[in-house]
Parts: sequence; C-alpha cells; structure tokens
Amino acid sequence: MTIEVRYFAAARAAAGVEAEKIQLEAGATVDDVLAALRAEHGAELARVLERCSYLLDEVAVRDRSTSVSGASTLDVLPPFAGG
Amino acid sequence: MTGAVVLRAAVGEDVLDVAEHAALVEQAAAGAVVTFAGVVRDHDGGRSVLGLEYSAHPTAATIVAEVAADVAARAQGVRAVAVSHRVGKLAIGDVALACAVAADHRREAFATCSELVEEIKKLLPVWKHQSFADGDDEWVNSA
Repeated sequence: MTIEVRYFAAARAAAGVEAEKIQLEAGATVDDVLAALRAEHGAELARVLERCSYLLDEVAVRDRSTSVSGASTLDVLPPFAGG
Repeated sequence: MTGAVVLRAAVGEDVLDVAEHAALVEQAAAGAVVTFAGVVRDHDGGRSVLGLEYSAHPTAATIVAEVAADVAARAQGVRAVAVSHRVGKLAIGDVALACAVAADHRREAFATCSELVEEIKKLLPVWKHQSFADGDDEWVNSA
C-alpha cells in the first residue's frame, strides 16, 4: 500500500518537500511510516518529528501503533504557534 | 446564564481590527466588552524581528469554529464572542489574533476572553515563521 505524507511548517522545511508518497507493507502503523520518513530524510527531519502531532485522514492520531491501512493521507504537524 | 453566541470565528488573510470585533459583540444587555489583540512585536528572545509569516493547516477554519463554540458553550454570564486569526505575511504592529467578548459584567468577560485566547493558542493548527534582523529565520516552537 502507499500513503501520502503531507508536511507543514518546520516539517516541510526539514523534509524539503510539501508532500510525498510512501510505500508500506500491509499492516503498517503510524510508527512504521515515521521510521520510513526518518530513514529517507535523516537527522533534521527526525528531530522535528519528535515534537510533531499527526492527522490520519484529518483525524488526530492518539496512538502511533494505529494501523494506517485504508487511510490516504498522514499530515505531519509541528507544535502550533498561533496568536 | 450558560452559553454565548459566536458571532465570528475565522481564519484568513484580511487585515484584522479589534475595534470592529468589539462592535460586533456589543449589545444593550452587555455591561462589559473585553478585547484582546495579539500583535506582531519587533523582538523575540532578545533578537530583533523584522516580520512574521503565519501558515495554517486546511482544517484551521473548522477548528477555530469548534474552539469558539466550545468556549462559548461553557461560558457563564457571557452574551457573545468573536475571534479571528490572520495568516500570511504580517508586519510589526499588525494584529494576528483578534478577540472580543461581551458579558453582563466584567469578571466573566475577562475570564472568557482569556480562555478563548489560551484555547486558540493551544488548539489552532497555525504556525509562525519569524525573520530576524541578522538575516536568520526560524519556525517558532520548532527551533
């Protein structure tokens, strides 16, 4: 399966792309997607990912062992800084 | 009296005016109108700031409406609230966050305005990219 990863703000700057498709094995979890992103992009993105929250098809991920099967997008959200 | 009406909950690129938010919520029954302006300042952490650019997740418009509705529903003795967050490039002195709360009495107006600002800062998926006078830049809270 594949999932589209969309990056925002500092995560977009660290990844160098706005979005990308990631190939995954059946049964992959959010943690598996993050491991693939760290392997592909290296230390700067890995550092940012530590502090991010995630949306799976625009629903907040509460547990990173959640399966991504059937989902089309994973959004990577750095800490909010509004106001 | 529990619950207040939300007269505006918006995220957009237009210039924000706190007085206009105050005018929106004021009414004959309300003896107190409290406003808050979150303004772009020219320094951060001891460094000189030239300007900011805010960006938002596509869900931000929905979330600002949910946050305002939640705060308004819990509010005691409050008549109306209005809140807007600006995104895009902002200059020093520009208003990034405008809030106004109208209540019968001041205590409830202050408390609800404060809670609204705190909840927006915590829950709204908006990010701030800061440019410094020394040529450096950073994503606030991610550096």
